[in-house]
Amino acid sequence: MGDEQKELTSLLAERSIRLDARASDRDDAIRQAGQALLDVGAIDPGYIDAMLERENSVSTFVGEGVAIPHGTLAGKDLVTEDALSVIRFPDGVDWGGNEVTVAVGIAARGNGHIALLSQLATVLLDPERAAALRNATTADQVYGLLTTDDDDDDDQ
Amino acid sequence: MATIDGSAIKKLIVACDAGMGSSVMLAATLKKQLAKSGVTVEHSPVAHIPADADVVVTQASLAERARGVVPDVPVVPFQLFLGDPSVTKVVKAIQNGETVEV
Repeated sequence: MGDEQKELTSLLAERSIRLDARASDRDDAIRQAGQALLDVGAIDPGYIDAMLERENSVSTFVGEGVAIPHGTLAGKDLVTEDALSVIRFPDGVDWGGNEVTVAVGIAARGNGHIALLSQLATVLLDPERAAALRNATTADQVYGLLTTDDDDDDDQ
Repeated sequence: MATIDGSAIKKLIVACDAGMGSSVMLAATLKKQLAKSGVTVEHSPVAHIPADADVVVTQASLAERARGVVPDVPVVPFQLFLGDPSVTKVVKAIQNGETVEV
C-alpha cells in the first residue's frame, strides 16, 4: 500500500486537490483544473487552451457529476509530465446542461495515469462511492477513493 | 448500422480524440466486463485506431472520423460514458457470442 500511495501522490499532488472551489461557468472550471496542473509544473500554459478547445468539440462530462477535462491530441506536446488535479465545486457548475461537482483535470503524455483513471471509473460505477467523491472534503478521502481496491486492474 | 458477430470479436478499441482521458476510462470499464471473454480492450486516439480492430466504440461526435480511419470495421457510437445502451449491447453480444445490429 505504501508504494502505491506514493505513486498516487506523485501523480495527484495534494496541492492539486482543491475541494472548496467556485467557478462562474464551465470554462472557468476548466481553467482552474488546468491551473492546478500548471502550478505543479506538469504543463505549459498553452495546454489550458487545448483543454478548452477539446471541451468545445467534445464534452468530457462522464456522468455522476464528474467531468475529466483534458487537452487534444495536438496539445499533448504541451504536457511535461503525467499529472492529475481534482477540483470540487460544492455549488456545482453547469456543464453543457449537466451539473458537475468534481472536475478531474488530466495531463498525460504517457500511461502513468491509467491505473488512476481506471479506479475513477470503478468509483463512478458505484453510486455510493461516486457520492462520496462528490462530497469529499479532505484530500485523504479523495486518495482513499482513488486507491486501487481490486487486483484485476493492470497497467495495459 | 452495422452487424457485429460477438463470437468473432477479439479486439475492441475505445477511441477518443486524444486517447488520454475519456477513452481510457471507458476502456478500463470494458476491460473488466470482458476479462472472461478473452477480448483485448485497448484505448486509442481516433486518428490512430489500429487496423486489426474488430469493433470500435467511440463518442457519437467522433464516429464519422473513426469510420474514415477504419472503413471496414464496425463503429459503435455512444452518448453516455457510464451505462450507454449501445455499449451494453456490444458487451452482451461478446459475452454471449451473439450477432447484433448496432
